[in-house]
Amino acid sequence: MKSFIVTRSQINSLAAELLSKNWSIFTQSEDRKRFKQCESESEISVDGNGKPSDVSFKELFFPKSETLFYFNRDNEELTLLDPAEPGTKTVIFGAKPCDAASVPVLSKVFNWDYNDEFFNKRVENTIVISIACSYSDESCFCTSVGLSPFSEIGSDLFLIPTEKDSFILKIVSEKGEKFINEFPFMIQKEFEGTFDLENQKASFPKEKFDFASVKEWLGKNFKDEIWNEVGELCLGCAQCAYVCPTCHCFDIVDENCGVSCGRRVKNWDSCQFGLFTKHASGHNPREDQSRRYRQRVNHKFNYYKQRFDEILCTGCGRCTRGCPVSIDIAQVLEKIQCKQSAAIV
Amino acid sequence: MNIYKPELVEIKEIIDETPDIKTFRLKFKDEKLQNNFSFKAGQFAEYSVFGEGECTFCIASSPTRPEFLECSFKLAGKVTKAMRKLKIGDTMGLRGPYGNSFPLEEMKGKNVVFIAGGIGLAPVRCIIWNVLDLRSEFKDITIIYGARSVSDLVYKYEIQDWQNMPGVKTVVTVDPGGETSDWKGEIGFVPSIVEKVAPKNENTIAIICGPPIMIKYTFPVMEKLGFSEDSIITTLENRMKCGLGKCGRCNIGSVYVCKDGPVFTYHQLKELPDEF
Repeated sequence: MKSFIVTRSQINSLAAELLSKNWSIFTQSEDRKRFKQCESESEISVDGNGKPSDVSFKELFFPKSETLFYFNRDNEELTLLDPAEPGTKTVIFGAKPCDAASVPVLSKVFNWDYNDEFFNKRVENTIVISIACSYSDESCFCTSVGLSPFSEIGSDLFLIPTEKDSFILKIVSEKGEKFINEFPFMIQKEFEGTFDLENQKASFPKEKFDFASVKEWLGKNFKDEIWNEVGELCLGCAQCAYVCPTCHCFDIVDENCGVSCGRRVKNWDSCQFGLFTKHASGHNPREDQSRRYRQRVNHKFNYYKQRFDEILCTGCGRCTRGCPVSIDIAQVLEKIQCKQSAAIV
Repeated sequence: MNIYKPELVEIKEIIDETPDIKTFRLKFKDEKLQNNFSFKAGQFAEYSVFGEGECTFCIASSPTRPEFLECSFKLAGKVTKAMRKLKIGDTMGLRGPYGNSFPLEEMKGKNVVFIAGGIGLAPVRCIIWNVLDLRSEFKDITIIYGARSVSDLVYKYEIQDWQNMPGVKTVVTVDPGGETSDWKGEIGFVPSIVEKVAPKNENTIAIICGPPIMIKYTFPVMEKLGFSEDSIITTLENRMKCGLGKCGRCNIGSVYVCKDGPVFTYHQLKELPDEF
């Protein structure tokens, strides 16, 4: 697909035009806490240097709380009503490659056999414009899960900063192509050169573990002392799941508003909570934190790969940055790789 | 399509099984749905009380009796508490059927042993009636059922029918101390009664369901009786929410109990991580 040269002011013009056409625009907030909705084109952040927001952009596709339907009891007659379809056309400006990559990963679980149209509609209505990432800290590990600061997976359009206020705009998906063709001023100057990715590699986060070895060890070692070591530290607060771009476990609950009506909602949940798997009988298959942490790691780096051929992790490092007891998941995986190497020797 | 939105069903009959277990007989409010609804023995559904929430139970009635469907539930939490207050004519929600089923075709031409404990008889009752309604296609039938006490036995009104059927051996037991003065059945835990009854393993499929502790101690007895790991079948009752392979709650390893199960052979269970 084609690439074009665009300037910051053209990106601003695009945002202004979208706003005038009632599109919703999201971008990383100045305090880098989350993705916020913009009211003016001047708020757009296309900053490859910035730290990933504390919370991923997952909630734009899979909200923290989503109405599944409303129920209404009128004269004893019960009726169910579908919520309004998430119809707003949305553009996300300046997503990180480690955010964008989560969309196709989540799409797998939301679409095997039964299709979750709540998720699908949001994906369908959203254009993801990512930007190559030049930020890296000790928590980042995208290169260990097959991604990189230049990964275009899950993006519709991809920006690579070249010089001050100038970008290469790569068209990544058909959806992105169709979208950008509607804005001819964005595709005036085609970029015909080649971008030298090799030059950039020195600044990528270093690979912390070998995924294949980790997966192999996990597949063979269900019981191991490492889970007790981490489990004893872990508070089970589930912040890791809430900030994660790929964690997707949810609960389904009813909420009443008044005596005769209410709604059923799908809320974010986490396998790190003790009640998550507790049976009605009181029996709990994952009764302590070590088992729950083992589930988290296995689900991400073993089970999901087996089931959907994807790693349930984009290496964004959010879980590590936010952990109140400083558990570093990449360090846990490094340890696992050491165990695997020792087993081979 | 909104996969999370249930259909409406009406409660047609309520049976008090035990002090804390009831059975609801349900019918879809939309007659067309009722006529088109089909399921297989072993599948489950999500039942709702609007304003309280959803609960997962197996379908306890047989697909051979499609004019209604039944669920049996034990008082355990918020939704089952609300369900106990419902009356005949009240409306509930139902999504399903979900999950795999008992291998009925494979069971044809064979002896079948049914072993159940407590409310674990509900999914087994579904396949028992399925088999009995197609009686000529199966060989000898053995039913072994146990509960904590006489008052905890479910489907008492049907056990009598099974006992009177030719070619069906029905043994009912209660845990020691759970018997009444006029109790004529066995006294003892299910695994030891299975050992005593000692069903033959040749050309036989065994279906087992009950509390985890009963299943745990019954498997070794079955192995001792010579049953192969593939001829022992059970159904898992993991906590679920969506029933659709999305919410991530029922997983054991890479297996989704709601999609790959709830019916598993003992052989399949042995391959799974030890986490159920």
